[in-house]
Amino acid sequence: MSARVGIVVFPGTNSEEETLRACLAVGLEAALVPWNAHPDGLRSLDAFVLPGGFAYEDRVRAGAIAAHDRLMSAVRAAAAAGKPVLGICNGAQVLVESGLVPALDDVERPQVGFTRNAPAGKYRSTHVHVKLAIAPERCTLTASLPPGAVLPAWASHGEGRLAGEPDVLARVQREGRIAFVYCDAHGAVSAQSVPNGSALGAAALVNARGNVLALMPHPERDAWTYMHHGRERERARGDAAQMLATSGGIALFAGLARAVSA
Amino acid sequence: MLRVRDADDPALTESLRQSGLALTLDEVRRIASTLERDPTIVEAHAFDAQWSEHCSYKSSRHHLARLPTTGPTVMQGPQEDAGIVHLGEWRGKRYGIVIAHESHNHPSQVVPFEGAATGVGGIVRDVLCMGARVIALADPLRFGPLEDPHCRYVAQGIVDGIAAYGNAIGVPTIAGDVYVHEGFRDNCLVNVVALGLIDEAGIIHSAAPPGSAGWDIVLVGKATDRSGFGGAAFSSLVLDEADAQQNRAAVQVPDPFLKNVLMRASYRAFDTIRERGLTVGFKDLGAGGIMGCTAELAAGGGFGARIDLDRCPTSQPNLPAAVVAVGETQERLAWVVPPEFTPTLLGIYNDEFSLPLIAEQAQAAVIGTITAEPSYVLLSGGETVMNVPIDVLTRGVRYERDYVLPIASSAAPPEAMTQRRLGDILPRVLAHRDVCSRRAIYERFDSVVRGTTSIPSGYADAGLIVPLPGAPLACALAVDGNPRYAVLDPERAAEHAVVESIRNVVAVGAIPAGMTDCLNYGNPENARHMGEFVAGIDGLATAARELGVPFVSGNVSLYNQSAAGCAIPASPIVACVGTLADVSRSATPALKKIGSVLYRLGTVPPGLGGSVVAEVLGITSDVPSPDYDATRREIAALLQAHRDGLVLAAHDVSDGGLLVTLCEMAFYAGAEVGVLLDVELDVHGAFAESGAFVVETGRPAEFEALCARHGAALTRLGMTIAEPVVRGPRGLDIPLSALHEAWTAPLNDFYADVLPDAAHA
Repeated sequence: MSARVGIVVFPGTNSEEETLRACLAVGLEAALVPWNAHPDGLRSLDAFVLPGGFAYEDRVRAGAIAAHDRLMSAVRAAAAAGKPVLGICNGAQVLVESGLVPALDDVERPQVGFTRNAPAGKYRSTHVHVKLAIAPERCTLTASLPPGAVLPAWASHGEGRLAGEPDVLARVQREGRIAFVYCDAHGAVSAQSVPNGSALGAAALVNARGNVLALMPHPERDAWTYMHHGRERERARGDAAQMLATSGGIALFAGLARAVSA
Repeated sequence: MLRVRDADDPALTESLRQSGLALTLDEVRRIASTLERDPTIVEAHAFDAQWSEHCSYKSSRHHLARLPTTGPTVMQGPQEDAGIVHLGEWRGKRYGIVIAHESHNHPSQVVPFEGAATGVGGIVRDVLCMGARVIALADPLRFGPLEDPHCRYVAQGIVDGIAAYGNAIGVPTIAGDVYVHEGFRDNCLVNVVALGLIDEAGIIHSAAPPGSAGWDIVLVGKATDRSGFGGAAFSSLVLDEADAQQNRAAVQVPDPFLKNVLMRASYRAFDTIRERGLTVGFKDLGAGGIMGCTAELAAGGGFGARIDLDRCPTSQPNLPAAVVAVGETQERLAWVVPPEFTPTLLGIYNDEFSLPLIAEQAQAAVIGTITAEPSYVLLSGGETVMNVPIDVLTRGVRYERDYVLPIASSAAPPEAMTQRRLGDILPRVLAHRDVCSRRAIYERFDSVVRGTTSIPSGYADAGLIVPLPGAPLACALAVDGNPRYAVLDPERAAEHAVVESIRNVVAVGAIPAGMTDCLNYGNPENARHMGEFVAGIDGLATAARELGVPFVSGNVSLYNQSAAGCAIPASPIVACVGTLADVSRSATPALKKIGSVLYRLGTVPPGLGGSVVAEVLGITSDVPSPDYDATRREIAALLQAHRDGLVLAAHDVSDGGLLVTLCEMAFYAGAEVGVLLDVELDVHGAFAESGAFVVETGRPAEFEALCARHGAALTRLGMTIAEPVVRGPRGLDIPLSALHEAWTAPLNDFYADVLPDAAHA
C-alpha cells in the first residue's frame, strides 16, 4: 500500500493544488485535508504537508493563528511519532509558530520567527536557489539528496526573514537546525543571494529528530521543466513530454516520498 | 417617495443632491413619466445605479458596436461579464480561456490600497461567474509623476493593494505594464485583466435559464454592510477633491481572505452542478449591488424577480433598504438554481466550506425567486419598496453625445541625425520612466502561484501559463496602451495598442486568439473628450480587422479627469490572449547562446512621434502609422520560426526602440551575453519603437529563407558575444553593467520613502 499524505488546507491557503500535484507526481497517495476536518480521522496518515498561502489572513503574525488550529493536534501527533512533516512558505511559518521547529531542547513553542522581509519590509516574489546546509541524512526528507544539493525555488513571501535572539540563533546554527541556505545558481553562498535579509542566510529549519522541515521558498513552483529559465528548459525546447516532465524542485518531494516509505 | 412630478427644477436638483443621486433632471423625470408616478427612494437609487454610465454604457454602447467581435477562435463574444476564446482540446474536452478586463480608476485615486484591491476582486468574480477557474491576472497601471509625493503615495498604495489581493487569493499576476505621465496626476488608471480556464460544457451563463420561473435566487459571500454605497454613480462622475471625503464612502472594502474560500467553494459547486447535469445562472455582484445583479440575471432570461431584502444577511443593524438593495459590498455572487438543488448549494458554502466561520455573517442564503411576470420587486419590512418593469430598469438609457474628432499633431519628419552618438543617448533612454526596469513593482505580485507559470511577469513581452496540468496547451497574456502616442494622436494610439499587444504574445510564440479593451477616457459630455473616444474606437476597429483578431470583452471608463477639467491622455488599453498548442515551442527574450546571429525582423515605419527618444532629444514628429501588411508578414514568419524551432530568443521592439530591445535581451540573460552590432544605425533605426522584432537564432540560413518565403523584411544586426558589452560601429561600446545600472536605478527607490505597509501581503 502506498503512503498517504495529507495536504493541509487552512482558510487562506493558496498553494494546495500544485503541492498536491507535486506529491502525486512522485508517486505519493495524497489528498487535501480541510481545516474543518476532525483531527481524529487523520491519525492514520503517514505524513503531512502544510502548503503556502495566507492562513487565517496572516492575522497577528504569519502562521500564528493556524498554529493553534484544532487540526494541528493531528500534525503535532504525527511529528511526535516521527512521521515526516513538511511546511512550505506559510506552512513553514505555521511550523515555526507552533514550535515544531526548531524545537530546541524539545520545547514546542515559538523560539525564532520568520518575520518581515528586510530591507523593504514588503512581500517579494523572486526566483532563488537553496543549498542543503546539513548532512543529507540529518533530515529524513533530504536523506536522498546529495550533500550540498542545490534546488531551484521561488521565494514568494513578505515574512520570510529568520529572526531571533542572538544566543538562540547561535544555537540554531550550532545544533544544525538550518537545513537550507540561499545561494546562487552555482551553489555559492553570499548575502546577494538572500532575498529577504534572513539571519544566517537561512531558507529552512529542521527539528532535532529530522522529521519536521520548514522551508520558506517554494520548490513546487519550479518543479516542472516548463517553469525553469535556464539550460534545462532550452534542452526541452521542441519536446513537449520533456517540457512537461518534473525536474528541479521536485527533488524535495521525491525526498518526502522516500522518507514516507522508509 | 422622491418628489419628482410636482417639483420644479431647483427643488428637484436639491433633492437629488441631498439623496446623493447622480441622475440628471431629465433622467429622473423620464423615470417618473414611465412609471406614471414618483419613484420610491429605493427605486431612485436603483435607477441611479442601472442608468449610470458605469452600468449602462449610455454614451459608448453604439460606438462599441463598430469593434469586430467574431472569428474562429471565439467561443463567446462580448455579451456577458467576460468573453471566451478557444484554447484547445485535451482528452476529449474542449477548453476555453475566459477573458475579462475592468478599470477601478476613481476608487484607486481616492483610496489607493482598497480601490486597487477591490478592482482585482471585481474582475476575478467576473471570470468566476462564468463557471471558470481563475488562472491569471494582469495589471496595466498609469501613474502621475512619481517625483510628486501624492502621486507616489497613490502608486505605492495601488501596487500594495493589488499585491495584497491577488497574492492572497492565489491567482498569478503574469503580465502588466506601467506608464507614468503628467496627465495622470489627478486621475490614475488601474485596469485589471483576469483569465479563467473553462471546459466548454461547463460554461455558466449570467442569466436565469429557460423555465426557471419559481427558482431560488441564492446570494453567497460577504454579509451586506454600508460600504460601497453609490459606487456605480461615483465612478460615472468627475472627481472633485472637495468631495473626496464623501467619495471615500463609495469605495468598497476588500476581503481577499474570504474571497479565497469563496472561490474554492464555488469551484466545488461547479463540479457538483456538472455531475448533476444542471443548467443554472450565476453572476457576480458589482455595480448596483443585489439589485443590479439579480435584475440582470432575471432580465437576461426574460423573467422578473422578487427579492426580500430582509432575507439578505447583513453585518450592520438597521441598514436602509436602499443600501441593502444597491450597496456594493464586495465578495458576493448570486445563483439562480432549482429549489431541489438549493439545500446542496447551501451545504457546500455554509457547511463544507464553513463560510459563517470565515467571516461574520458570511453565508449562502435564499433571498428571492425568479418570477414569470417581468417586473422587478423588492420587499423590505413587509412592504414593497420597489416594483418596476424589469426591462425599463435594465435597458438603461442611450445618449448620442456630440463629438469633435481630434486632429493629430503633425510635424515634419526630423533630419536623419546620423551625427548623434548613439552611445550617449542609450543610457538616457534606458533610464526613461517608461523604459526602466519595473522589477520593484512586479516583484510585489505573485506570478508563480498555482504552479502553472512558464513565463512570469518581468521575463518577457507576455506572460505564459500552462493552465491544464499535464497538457502541453499554453496561454499567453500581454497588455499595451501607450499614453505618449495618445497625447499626439488618439486614433493611432489605439491602433498601436492593438498591434503591440498582439506582437507581444507572438514574440513568445503564441497565436493571438482574442483581445479585450478597457477604454479609459475623459468626460463624454465634452465634445473634444468624446471625440477622442470615438477616434479610439476607430483605431481599435481598424487594427483588429487588419490583423484578424477579435475583441471578446471589454470595459469603458469615462469621466477620467480632474476637477480642473483636464482629461487624462486617451487610454485605450488592450489585452491580448494568445494560445499555443505546445508549450515547448515557446521562447523567452533572454539571449541564449554566444555566437548566434541577431536579426531585426520587420521594418519600423518613419516618424519618431511619441517615442522615448523624441522626448529625450526634444524632437517633434508624427506618430508612425502601423504598416499592417508588413506586420502580418512579420507575425506569420515569426510564428512559423517558433514552430520550426529556429528561434532562440525573440523580443518585440517597443518603448525605447531597437537598442533598448537588445539591451533587455541581454539583461534577461543575466547580463552574461553581449551584443556585437555589425550594422550602422541612425537615431531612427536605433530608437524608433513602433514595429519589428529582434530575433536570436542559431540557424541563420534557415531563418533567412523562412522570412523570405513570408516576404518579411529582415536585417542582420550582428552577433552575440561572450564579452558583456553592447558594441557597434562608430564607437558604440558600453559595458552591460553600466547599461543595467541605468535601467534599474530609476525605480529602485520606489519604496525608499515609506514604512512597511500596514495591510501586509
